[in-house]
Amino acid sequence: MVTSLTITEKFNQISIDIWHLVPWILSFILIGPVICLFITASGDSGGLWDHLYQTVLIKYVLNTIKLMVGVSIIVLIFGVGTAWLVTRYEFIGKKVFDWMLMLPAACPAYLVAYAYTDFFEYAGPVQSLLRNFFGWQNAQHYWFPEIRSLGGAILVMSFVLYPYVYVLARTSFLRSPSSFYEIGKLYNKNIFFSVGLPLARPAIIAGLALVCMEVISDFGTVEFFTVETLTLGIFNVWLGMNNLVAAAQISIIAFIFVIALLFIEFKSRANRRFNDSSQRQTIIKKVSLPPLKSTFSALFCFFPIFMGFLLPVILLLLHSFKTSYHQDWSILFNIVWNTILISSLGAISIIVISSSTAIISFYKGSKILNKFTDLASTGYAFPGTMLSIGVLVFAGFIDKSYVSGMNLITENSKFGLLSGTVIILLLAYVARFQAVGYGSIRSGLTQVPENLIDASYTMGKSFTETLTQIILPLIKTSIIAGGLLAFVDIMKELPMTLLLRPFNFETLATYTYQFAHDELIEQASLPALLIILSGLIPVIFMNKFLRDIKI
Amino acid sequence: MKLIQFLIITVLYILSFGHASFSSEVNIYSHRQPFLINPFLEAFTNKTGIKTNVVYSTKGLAQRLKSEGENSPADLVLTVDIGRLYIYEDNKLLLPIESKILTENIPSHLRSPQNTWFGLSKRARVIVVSKDRVNPSQIERIEDLANPEWRGRICSRPGSHVYNRALMASIIAANGESKAEKWAKSFVENLARRPQGNDRAQVKAIFEGQCDVAIINNYYFGKLKYSEDPQQREWAKNVNLIFPNQQNNDRGAHVNISGGGVAKFSKNKENAIKLLEFLSSEAAQNLYGKINFEYPANPNISPSEELISWGKPREDKIPIIKIAELAPNAQRIIDRVGW
Repeated sequence: MVTSLTITEKFNQISIDIWHLVPWILSFILIGPVICLFITASGDSGGLWDHLYQTVLIKYVLNTIKLMVGVSIIVLIFGVGTAWLVTRYEFIGKKVFDWMLMLPAACPAYLVAYAYTDFFEYAGPVQSLLRNFFGWQNAQHYWFPEIRSLGGAILVMSFVLYPYVYVLARTSFLRSPSSFYEIGKLYNKNIFFSVGLPLARPAIIAGLALVCMEVISDFGTVEFFTVETLTLGIFNVWLGMNNLVAAAQISIIAFIFVIALLFIEFKSRANRRFNDSSQRQTIIKKVSLPPLKSTFSALFCFFPIFMGFLLPVILLLLHSFKTSYHQDWSILFNIVWNTILISSLGAISIIVISSSTAIISFYKGSKILNKFTDLASTGYAFPGTMLSIGVLVFAGFIDKSYVSGMNLITENSKFGLLSGTVIILLLAYVARFQAVGYGSIRSGLTQVPENLIDASYTMGKSFTETLTQIILPLIKTSIIAGGLLAFVDIMKELPMTLLLRPFNFETLATYTYQFAHDELIEQASLPALLIILSGLIPVIFMNKFLRDIKI
Repeated sequence: MKLIQFLIITVLYILSFGHASFSSEVNIYSHRQPFLINPFLEAFTNKTGIKTNVVYSTKGLAQRLKSEGENSPADLVLTVDIGRLYIYEDNKLLLPIESKILTENIPSHLRSPQNTWFGLSKRARVIVVSKDRVNPSQIERIEDLANPEWRGRICSRPGSHVYNRALMASIIAANGESKAEKWAKSFVENLARRPQGNDRAQVKAIFEGQCDVAIINNYYFGKLKYSEDPQQREWAKNVNLIFPNQQNNDRGAHVNISGGGVAKFSKNKENAIKLLEFLSSEAAQNLYGKINFEYPANPNISPSEELISWGKPREDKIPIIKIAELAPNAQRIIDRVGW
């Protein structure tokens, strides 16, 4: 009976309810913009679907699928392959590759696309060299793959996106209990396929889901290469036919893709919790490779770094030397400062919110809450501009309520809380990149030994104590990894920042864009290089924190 | 603790970007890049002492204005392409304004019938051809690009880009929908490669010998001709410029506009109107040609000498709003023919 409860017990009961409430509220705020987008999509599209179905829709869907499959294959090969090599083996340059493999994450795909196009197209140095060498006169005399194509888009996206899989797979390989490997060895099994891969599967799939969402929502690269994906279609319908409703409806199709992806991820996570709490746990010993294999491994690690980082950086550097465009360094310094501030603030918000939703729903939540918090990270699946429209509608609703509320008191409240401030930008970042922090933390949680938690409860520790003393220290690396990925993502983010920012607020991405938009690659090169350079900060952090992690 | 201190300072700094509202300001939502619009705004501030604040985005600003509703801090909208201006009007986001200066400076076919938006500069869609491989007299009209002699010789930006969509709309307006679709179909059959790249890239493709003919906005020719990059100057040297549809009884070359209008819930209405008036005045109208090789919308101002040296094109004087109204039909044709 309630009346017989002591005050402490009552307090405990209330606090449990609050624990439950937090992820519900946070997830609701995150999902708000998505719901607003659904409401927009529920309008009347004026019979446009017949036309779309007969002309372009199937092409959009097929291209999107091809792009996703192509990128996934390359990302898996290089992301998982390199992570396995650097965590299990000693070979030439391993220490350097270990952190350099993260670098391509700092390069925005559309900028790499610009740099590559110039390099690989007909008048670029590669084809010119081939023509001179073989004496070909013009394009009719030989075949060269066209860079502005589906294949080109797959190439560019794969080599800037594989780090998502690399980071999560690497963390997971390092944390896999070495006892499992020993058993695998005893039975003479291939330890990569029989132990490493199955153990890291949740992490790899979490990374791959992020990659696929990034591919679906990309606009810059597909626009530049004219690959007609769903996202490109959304913009043709919205701006070309002045039909926001149909555009929102197409983005819901893309959303369904992502729900399917998340479902796959969810399934792969279910009933798969691998952990080892035995005392014997030691860090896996690295195997030294013989010279030939060592060279091959080094080349295998070097290739994605070269394609995703070194080559684009070299090309941008060459371009930035070419221009005499006057650069005001004090303005640029200010923009760098803005970018780093807003990215840190965004990353911290994401980490706080995704940790609380992930941890509470994982340990305390019902099935429904779990699904709901999963759903709250689907903002990642929408093209940035479409999600920002959801954010705008959502914020407009809040602002109107706020202003009419304030008018009851002061009578001349003119502006809302959110519109045109940095807060709306932060809301958008969290709604979009929540998946990055959430995915990383969820996959970290699956590797926390359950019996440690049980032991903690048995010793009479409360959930809060268990959380701070056991869970958080154990998933620290996952939190940091998620936070740093989110930082890099926000720093590169363009469409939402462009649309939602306050007056006179520039980040490196928006500043670069005004030039890149006009294909003025020389002027765009320097700020683009600075985006990449600032992206190195989290990579260096990551290196410091994640090196030789111990469980 | 240091982290918390850092956070507090950061938040305070960053909130300082929020909306402040002084009387001597004008807040602009711009679809034009800052590096193009800033010289105008600086001139305006120097003249009037009114400070300008800008958010630049290529897409979605109309939606932002709409969602913000009465609480919006925006005073003025500046865009390129008539289609975007029309979206603002269509969503009833613009204020009808009475300004004698504006109605005198801007001819009626370049502004809205309700005086909600005003064209401020014009850009012509022109044809460029290879100097070595094409005799310029072979092409007189945009319609000629559908002729079979150009099979495999034309390069183009994707049809769904605003400039091509507007051009398509102008052809619908002139010839009717079925003729326009037939033209588009033959035009696409004549393409040398999948539509790709921007207008610059088409001139480059002619230079490289991938094709002989392309359609571009006139100002790209100027940007290439005076580029800092010697290579780009070579591309421009390699082509001749043709203003299409110039014969006596023809309609003239298709033009698009950049323009602006005052936001419906503007809190600095007078300043916003002042800025629009300034942009239509002689000083600013001259700048359009000087900075971006665009034609002045104000008929009393003559185009820059550089522009005159390219020829004196006659423009298609169809009310520009027609182009925006026909844009969805144009996009449908573009989808059907796969441009």
